[in-house]
Amino acid sequence: MSVDQGVFRPASVDEAVSVLARLPDARLISGGATLVAMINARLIEPAALVSLAGVDELHGITENPDGGWRIGAMTRHRDVAAERRFTGTLALVQQAASLIANATVRNMGTIGGAIAHADPGLDYPPALVAADAQIEIASGKGRRRLPASEFFVDWYATALQSAELVTAVHLRAASDGVGLYHKLARVSGDYATVSVALTMSSGVAGIATRAAMGACGPTPILLEEANALLSGSPGESELNRAGELLAAAADPVDDVRGSAEYRRLLIPRMLARAFTEARAAIGART
Amino acid sequence: MRIEGSFDIALPRAAVYGHLTDPGLIAACIPGCDQIERISPTDYRARVTIGMGGIKASFNLVVEVTSEQPPERVLSQTRGEEGSRASMLAADNEVALEEIDAANTRVSYVSDVSVTGRLGKFALGVMKKKVESLGREFAERLRERIQIQPAASSAPEAVPQ
Repeated sequence: MSVDQGVFRPASVDEAVSVLARLPDARLISGGATLVAMINARLIEPAALVSLAGVDELHGITENPDGGWRIGAMTRHRDVAAERRFTGTLALVQQAASLIANATVRNMGTIGGAIAHADPGLDYPPALVAADAQIEIASGKGRRRLPASEFFVDWYATALQSAELVTAVHLRAASDGVGLYHKLARVSGDYATVSVALTMSSGVAGIATRAAMGACGPTPILLEEANALLSGSPGESELNRAGELLAAAADPVDDVRGSAEYRRLLIPRMLARAFTEARAAIGART
Repeated sequence: MRIEGSFDIALPRAAVYGHLTDPGLIAACIPGCDQIERISPTDYRARVTIGMGGIKASFNLVVEVTSEQPPERVLSQTRGEEGSRASMLAADNEVALEEIDAANTRVSYVSDVSVTGRLGKFALGVMKKKVESLGREFAERLRERIQIQPAASSAPEAVPQ
């Protein structure tokens, strides 16, 4: 493995893990879209950088035999945004990627870097939670997988332990249905003020819905109770009740993007808009 | 930013007041506080380290007690900086004790904090959440320590250096 000016360049995941185990204050660098900006602002001063650019298995999107997908951690937002094979309920992952920041950031930033940073205003976390994605994590002991809903644990905090890294995001095979990601931002390219990610499919028992709200708490908010209300044959009162539950579970910040109160107000409205659009799209198909 | 909170302690107000003006005890209850020393009858120097999302900041603080009104209220001002002066912190603090009954006290605190410099650039909304959670942790630690100990009077001489 080459080392140049404090930048380690491992060729495999095992090599990367061994550097992290040896240098706990080293930071992994993938696309650098956020990390380099933070270093420039002197917010962090890593002892060393471990570049994942040369680790082949982290690159690219592959289809599993069961129809599911493996998105390598180093896959850039641009490539997920351009991925037309994410159809049906999985379309929300492609939509979320296409709404991240701007073209420059999408050309640099990676899915693994984004979720490991776990900024609450990011687009991927709610989309991956709604899609019931699994996060693949490597350590010296091997690999483990966690549901996205358990990966995000607090403000800027994930389930990653020291000397662990995200190696991939796994998506289950798409269901025939709709996946939507809506983002409300002050201007195009900003972090979300509030976002909603939703999947909906229809079956004999009516519709099945999974909704996650982004940017209104430390982690994406998904409530089984709200999903149950939004499934079957929900009417307006169920939709309103689900919105109330999600707003009550929110813990939004007050910042330049909006007050906490404003964000709580947006949650039921954004949910209703996404739900109505998804339902209309399903109805149009059947 | 304004940080507010309150918590209840199962001790009489005068006893709680004695604990809250014991810098050694307070330092032990503040998450990330590894040093405190008394530098004058009203001034204390402390070091507090906080971290979030890979960002670590270690502040050298001077806390000046500006008004003591036992057993009801303590006012103080905090001024501080990171070692490299990369961020500055200033805060006006008020701690008020309210008697719930003879054996229980409600502690309320309000702090008006401003942070400038490198940390001022970083998600202040989230930082406020972090500080609020530190406030809850402080309350828990304090409760654990003083509710099991006999009420002691203030003992600033016993401050660890």
